[in-house]
Amino acid sequence: MSQIVDEWVGRLKGKLPPIGEMTHWERLAGAMDLKQTDYVPVAPELDYWQITYAGYSHREIYHDVDKTTDACIKTWADLRLDAIWMYVDISHQIENFIPAERRAEHFIHRGEKDYLMFKPIARTLDEAIEMYETRAFEKHLDGSRPVTHYTPHMLQLLEFQERMDRQVPIIVGIATPTNYAETIVEVQNFQRWMVTEPEKTQHYLNLCLQERLEALEFYRQFAAGNGGTFCCLFGGARTWGPKHLARFAGVDRVFAEKATQIFPYVFWHHCGRNLPRALELIRDLPGVKGIQYDMPYYGQDLSWPQWFEQVARLLGGKQCAMNSPTTQLACHGRPAEVRRMVREFIDATIPHTTACVMPGCEVDSFSPLENVKAMIEAGRACRLT
Amino acid sequence: MSESDILRQLSAAVEELDLSGVVPRVQAALDGGLAPAKVLTQGLSAGMREVGKKFNSGEMFMPEVLVACDVYFAGLAVVRPLLRADKDDHVLGTVIMGNIHGDVHTVGKQVAMPVFEASGLRVIDLGEDLTDEAFVEGIRKHHPQIVGLGTYMTSTFMHTKATVEAITKAGLRERVKIICGGPAVDAEAARRMGADDASDDAWKGVEKIRRLLGVE
Repeated sequence: MSQIVDEWVGRLKGKLPPIGEMTHWERLAGAMDLKQTDYVPVAPELDYWQITYAGYSHREIYHDVDKTTDACIKTWADLRLDAIWMYVDISHQIENFIPAERRAEHFIHRGEKDYLMFKPIARTLDEAIEMYETRAFEKHLDGSRPVTHYTPHMLQLLEFQERMDRQVPIIVGIATPTNYAETIVEVQNFQRWMVTEPEKTQHYLNLCLQERLEALEFYRQFAAGNGGTFCCLFGGARTWGPKHLARFAGVDRVFAEKATQIFPYVFWHHCGRNLPRALELIRDLPGVKGIQYDMPYYGQDLSWPQWFEQVARLLGGKQCAMNSPTTQLACHGRPAEVRRMVREFIDATIPHTTACVMPGCEVDSFSPLENVKAMIEAGRACRLT
Repeated sequence: MSESDILRQLSAAVEELDLSGVVPRVQAALDGGLAPAKVLTQGLSAGMREVGKKFNSGEMFMPEVLVACDVYFAGLAVVRPLLRADKDDHVLGTVIMGNIHGDVHTVGKQVAMPVFEASGLRVIDLGEDLTDEAFVEGIRKHHPQIVGLGTYMTSTFMHTKATVEAITKAGLRERVKIICGGPAVDAEAARRMGADDASDDAWKGVEKIRRLLGVE
C-alpha cells in the first residue's frame, strides 16, 4: 500500500459529487462500447501538463514517483476528467536499452516545463539489430526507470483506481513495435531504411515485435493483474504510405491482437499526420475500441469539421472517435476557440459514432489552464441523454 | 543524348530515388558540358519539385521523400563546388535555419533544406538545440534574409518568442524575416510570438518565403 494513495483515497472516497448519472469509468467504457452515455467523455492525455498544474517541475518529478502520482491524482480531483492517464516519458520506456553509465547522455532536461529530450540509441540498422539480438533491453533492466519509476507509478495509480471502487479508470500506455522501431534509431532513419534496406528493416521489426510481445507479459501480470482495464497503444508508422503499411505494419497487428486479449478496453494513439489508409487499418484491428487521431495527412485540404466527419464515418459502427481540440489550439488558442473546436468535433462525430474529447496527442505543459477548463466545459455542455 | 534528355534523366534520378545512380549521371552531364547551374536548377531541383507535387497529391510519402532528399544532396555535392564560380546560380536569398532551443528532431529540416535549396535559396544549417545567441550570431555571420526556426514539438515552438526577442534585442530584427517550420507550428501563434510566418510543409514554406522576400 502506498502512502500517497492512502492520503488521496482518504481525502476523496465518498466525498466527490457525481457528474451526470454515470461514473467516469462507465462514461468512458460506454463510449468505447459504442453505447449512449450521459455526456461525451473527456479524457485528455495530460502528460507533462498535469505535473506543472500540480506545482511540480519536471526535474523534481524525474526521480520522485510519489510526486508524479500525486500530480496525476490532484489534477483528476480538481478537474474531474473521465480518466487518469499514467504519466510516461521516453526514459520510462527505453532506458533499459542503455547501459547505466551512458543514460545521462541520452536523456536531457532542458527546462522545468520542457519535454525530456532524447537522443537515439542506435545510429545504424546493424547496431539496432545487434542491440535486439543481444537482448540489451534485458541486460540493462536492473535499476532502469521502467523498473524504478514507470512500474511503481503504474501500480500506485492502479491501487488508487481499485480503492476508489473504479470510479475513474487509469489509462496505461504501451508503445507498439513500429513505435519502438522508429524511436530507437530516430524516425527519419528508419523511414529511409524501409526504402533502401527493406529486408533488413523487416528483420529489425520482427525483433522489435518479439520484445514487445514479451513486454506484454509484464503488462498482463502487473497491469491487468492489478485491475488495469484501459490501455492506449501508442502506434508508430505515422507518416508511412500505403505500400509501407502493407509491407511493414503487420507487426503492429500481431501486437494489438495480444494486447486486446489482455486489456478489455484498448484504443490506438495515432498522432501526427493521419493517412486515411492508416486509420482504416487500425479500425479493422479486432478488439481495438477507439482511435485517438490527429490531423489529416499532407495534401488533404480539409477543414477540421470535414476531417472530423470523414473519420467519424470511417469509424462508424466499429470504434469511438477520440479527438479535439488540437494540441496546438490547446496551447496557443483562446478558450472560446477551444470550446468551438470541441463542439465541432462532437457535432460532426456523434451522428456516425461515439466521441471522446481527447486531443490527438499530449496536452503541452505550456497550455493555459483556462484552455484545459474550456475543453472540459465544452464536453460537459454536451448532454447526450 | 539531347540536353533536355540529360536534364530529364537527372530529374528522374531524384524522383526514382536512384541513390547510386545520381552521382554518375550528374558527372556525365557536367563532363558533357552542361552548365552546373542548369544541372542543378533544371535537373536535380526539377526532380525535387516533382517530388513535392507527388507528395502533396499522395503519390509519394515521407519515406520516399527522405530518400529523394538524399539523392538530391548526393547530386548537389558534385555540383556545389562548381557553382561558386558560376555566375548563373539564381540565388533568391540566404536562409539560416536550425532547431530551436530544446529540439533535436531533424526530420523536418532534412526535408526543408533540399526543398529550399532546390527552390533557389542558399541554406545554411546552424544545427540543433540552438541557443538564442546562436541564431543572433548566425545572422551576424551569414547576413541572411530569412531565419528559419525549426521546431518539432509544441513546447519547443513556444521558445520562438524568446528567440525573436533575442534577435530584436541584438538590433537585427529589421534585417531578417523569421519563419517557423515543423509539424506543431501555427502561423497565427508564430506571428503572436513575433515571427513573420510559419509552415508545416516544406513546399508551402517556399511559397511563404518567396512572399516574405517579395518575389512572388
